[in-house]
Parts: sequence; C-alpha cells; structure tokens
Amino acid sequence: MSDLTIAQKMLGGEVAVRSAPYFPRKKKRITGRSIAIIIFLSICAIFFCVPLYVVIITSFKTMEQIREGAMFSLPNVWTLEAWDHAWNSACSGINCNGLKVGFWNSVQILFPSLILSIGISMITGYALALWNVRWAGGFLFLLFICAFVPFQIIMFPLISMTAAIKVYGNVWGVAIVHAVLAMPVLTLIFRNYYKDIPQEIMSAAVMDSGSFWKIFVEIILPMSGNILIVVLILQITSIWNDYLIGVTFGGMGSQPMTVNLANLITISTGTTRYNDNMAAALQTAIPPLVIYFFVGKLFVQGITAGAIKG
Amino acid sequence: MAFRWSRWSPQLALLPAVTVTAVAFVGAIIWTIYLSLTRSRRLPEYGIDWSEPLRQYTRLFADDAWAISLKNLIILGLGSALAIVFGFILAAMIDKEKRGESLFRTVFLYPLAVSLIVTGTAWRWLFNPEFGVEHALHSIGLTWINFSWLSTGETAMYGVILAAVWQSSGFYMALMLAGLKSINSEIWSAARLDGVNLFRLYTEIIIPMMKFTFVTCAILLSLGVIKAYDVIVAMTNGGPGQSTYVPAYFTIQALSAKGNLGFASAAAVMMLVITAVIFLPLVMLTAWQQRRTGRAAH
Repeated sequence: MSDLTIAQKMLGGEVAVRSAPYFPRKKKRITGRSIAIIIFLSICAIFFCVPLYVVIITSFKTMEQIREGAMFSLPNVWTLEAWDHAWNSACSGINCNGLKVGFWNSVQILFPSLILSIGISMITGYALALWNVRWAGGFLFLLFICAFVPFQIIMFPLISMTAAIKVYGNVWGVAIVHAVLAMPVLTLIFRNYYKDIPQEIMSAAVMDSGSFWKIFVEIILPMSGNILIVVLILQITSIWNDYLIGVTFGGMGSQPMTVNLANLITISTGTTRYNDNMAAALQTAIPPLVIYFFVGKLFVQGITAGAIKG
Repeated sequence: MAFRWSRWSPQLALLPAVTVTAVAFVGAIIWTIYLSLTRSRRLPEYGIDWSEPLRQYTRLFADDAWAISLKNLIILGLGSALAIVFGFILAAMIDKEKRGESLFRTVFLYPLAVSLIVTGTAWRWLFNPEFGVEHALHSIGLTWINFSWLSTGETAMYGVILAAVWQSSGFYMALMLAGLKSINSEIWSAARLDGVNLFRLYTEIIIPMMKFTFVTCAILLSLGVIKAYDVIVAMTNGGPGQSTYVPAYFTIQALSAKGNLGFASAAAVMMLVITAVIFLPLVMLTAWQQRRTGRAAH
C-alpha cells in the first residue's frame, strides 16, 4: 500500500506543477501507438511460432527435400512417412520399435503418479490446513525448503531406495519418484487452498460428529473441484514432459517418451533422419499441447501456483 | 475439536508425508553429504578418511569441467534474465493494448507446455549447420550471418540461452501481467490526465511498484537455471567438448557416465549450496512481505 501512496504523491506533485489541464481523447479509433504495439507483438508472436512451424513442416517432408536445404519452404509432397517411422520403428538405443513404446510407458507412468502424488498431497494439505497439528508450521516450512532442493542431491539415495524396494527400472519406480518429488509443492498448493475454508464450517462439521475422514470425503472433497483440476493439469503436463526422472529410474524397459526422443536425436548412427526427429518431437509434444490449447487458463494457473507457492 | 479420535486421525494422515520428507528428502540429503566425504567410486563406501575428509571437494574445484560448469551457470543466468526483461515488455504491451490479448497470451505461453527435450530438439534443428536457419539465410544472400551457434564452443551457450529465453519468456510475461493488473487503475488515469510520458511512467512508477514481482521472477529464474539439464541434453549433450557443461549436467555425468559417486555427491552438495544462497533471500523476502502486509492490516 505504501508504494501506491508514494506514487500518488509523486503524481500529485506533477499535477501541481503542470497547470494546463489535459483531457484524454475518447479512444474509439485505433491510434498510431496501438498499431505500433500490435505490430511489435505480432513480430514477437512470429518469433514464438517459427520453431513450431519449422518442426511441423519438416515432419511432413521427405529426406530428399530436406537435403535441398530450404528449411522454411512447405513440403513439395506432404507425406506421413516420417510420422509412421517415428511412431513404429525409430531407434532408442538398441531397440527400434519407435516412440509408441515410450508413449505407452508414459501413459503407464502417468496414472499411478497422478493418483499417488495428488492423493498424498491432498490429505496432507487438508490435515495441515484445517486440523490442529502442533508442529504444522515447522513442517510446512520444511516442505517449502524441500520444494526447492535440486534433484541431484537426492538422486543416488533415491536410486538405492527404489532398488531396495524392487521398483527401480520399472514404471512403478518412476511413478513413486514423481509422487515423492511433487509432494512438497502440491501439499503447499492444497494447504493454501484449504486454509481459506471458514473455520465455522469445520466447527459445525466436527460438532456434527464428523470424523477426520468423513469430513474429508463429504465436505472437503466436493469443495476441491477447482483446485483439483488445476493441480491435475499441472501434474499431467509436468509428468509427461519430465526427462530426468524417467531416464534415471526407467531402466531399460520403462523409459518414457521424452527419453526415447532424446535417444533418437542424440544417439544417431548413420545419416540423421531429420523428418523422423521432428515427427517424434511433435508426437511427444501433442498431448500437453492439446491440454494447453483446450484449458490454457487452468494450465497457467497451475504453473504460477506451483512456482510461487512452491 | 476435543474428541480423542479427532486428535489422532490428522497425525496419522500426515504420517506418509512426514515419512517421505524424513526419508526421501532429509535423509537422502544427509546421505549424499556423507557420501561426498567418502572415497566412494562406483559403489558407496562408508569409511571416511579423516586425514582428508574434503578430498572430493578439492578435486572438484581443481576440475576444469566444473570450472566451465560454474562459468556457464553464470552466463546462462545472465542470459536467461533477458526472458524477464522480454516478458515484462510483452506484458506491458499486452496490458496497454487490450486487442488480441488472449491470442497473444496463448502464443507466448505455448512453449511452456512442451517438454524441454522437445524444445531442445526443435532448436537443435534450427541451429543445424547443414540445413538450418544459417543455410536459409545464406541462400538468400545473407552470407555474413553465422547462425550455427551450437557447433562451436564459443557460441554454443548462446544457442542454449536463446532456446531458454524462447521457452520461458511467456511464463515471466504471465507473472508480470498479473503484477500489472494488480496496479491500481487510478495510476493510469492520473498519469494520462497529467501527461506523464510513458517511459517515465514505467521507469519511475510502475517498475518500482512491481519490485516484488521482479524479485520473485529473478529468484524463480535462478532456481530454474541451476536445474537446467534437459535442454542441455537435447541441444548439445554438453558439447562441443565440455563447452556447455552446467552443474546439473556435470553432476549427473559424474555419477552415470564416470561412475564416481563421491565426486558426484560433492558436486551435488555444491548445487545445494548454490540453491541455498539464492533461496535465503526468498525466505527473508517472504517473511518481510508477510510482516508488511500484516502491519498494513490488509
């Protein structure tokens, strides 16, 4: 608030100095400044779209046309050859079964990760926000710190632990590590959401002899629709887009799609098939892009909530 | 809330989260710190040579690749800061000119939705020395332009920065836009009434008012830079040579490729220290802000 008053004072001072009154025009027609701004923003928009455009058109080209070198020109012949090749027979290491392997691994990783991470964080957030837990403050602070810990410092211990419980190298290992790493941030998000629930509701519910779990299922869960969808989108995209956890814990057989893509583009023997690479990149990007274009607002809410509260 | 069962259920419900925090975070961090003091190579060894407990750190700071990693961390941090500047300019323009707001927002933010591996793949292709943007520019006569940045060690880091700025500008734009929208609308009308020029309005009033947003962005950016790994893997794989090594890449390389556990642990501990150095101001800032809003009786 103090910033605001200072600014108002400064502006007030300016008003006093300048005596000539100035009345703004009614802005109905487009001014020159508006046009300049729109042109600038459009140029920026083109800069943002160029990589996507190039990736899309390259994925539909033949290698012959790519070798001609005109990167920005449209395909002479639109072909789905590269899409088919990337999906069915692109190589990731020694396996040449395409990205479909990684796709199904990613799907198998996604669901247990979502259930585990959201389940545990939701209940933790609920307990911390609405029930009297004496050490809640300290624990929240600890979670806040954990949310920022770089993955590398817990990487080797987590490998040892997942190996000890026999999940290292399969989808469960990846899913559990996702849940562990997401838990601090998600708990903080849920806790911040639940703490705004009026205490009266909780008191009434407790009077009504509602137990911890009964209140959660009958009152809190129906109230969490909004936050649940935001967190769900945040988690789906971040799990899908993850590379590091997948490559570390996926072993040989359970690598997610991003790992297959990285292997395809970095370890290439013989001539690189750029159209395959681009098709593979698009196939990996399509699920989160679809989510983004349909529910972009919720996606943005999720990442900003995750970044700021986390 | 004085019933017995209502006292114990919450504690019981917190048990999984507490266990995870204690084991997978606190325990694991202590474990890694301990390992960094040992002579562990491929497999962990738990004997500490007390005559020289910090030998891994000594080796780390004598390592050329680690020096490159730290230098690149700073370059990447400074370069990526452009994303904040760019994000602010975009946000200010979108905020002033309401036409097309949602379209521009959608376009500027979509890179954030895709994996950094995909981003890296796309930019790696654009930087391709044979068929990439450079070739396209040369073929229309602009032969003096050099755009195959990733193929030489001197410029490879700038290529990574460009991709990082492309990827994250939209995010900072969204944060800045939220900050701009929370500014009292009277400021704008007062400034217009008064004929304050736009440049002065922004530099002397709006930006100082948004200092918390800027600090938040700067801290988020720094934390993101330390974690930068995926984009390096996809674009350069640390190369050419070791010219695009960053601490996150160095640490994982030391562990998985070199199989040097004690050494990698020491690098990871240094990453934690760097994070803490950035993180501390954030904690103080949040505490200060809370006290401030508390005093203002918001």
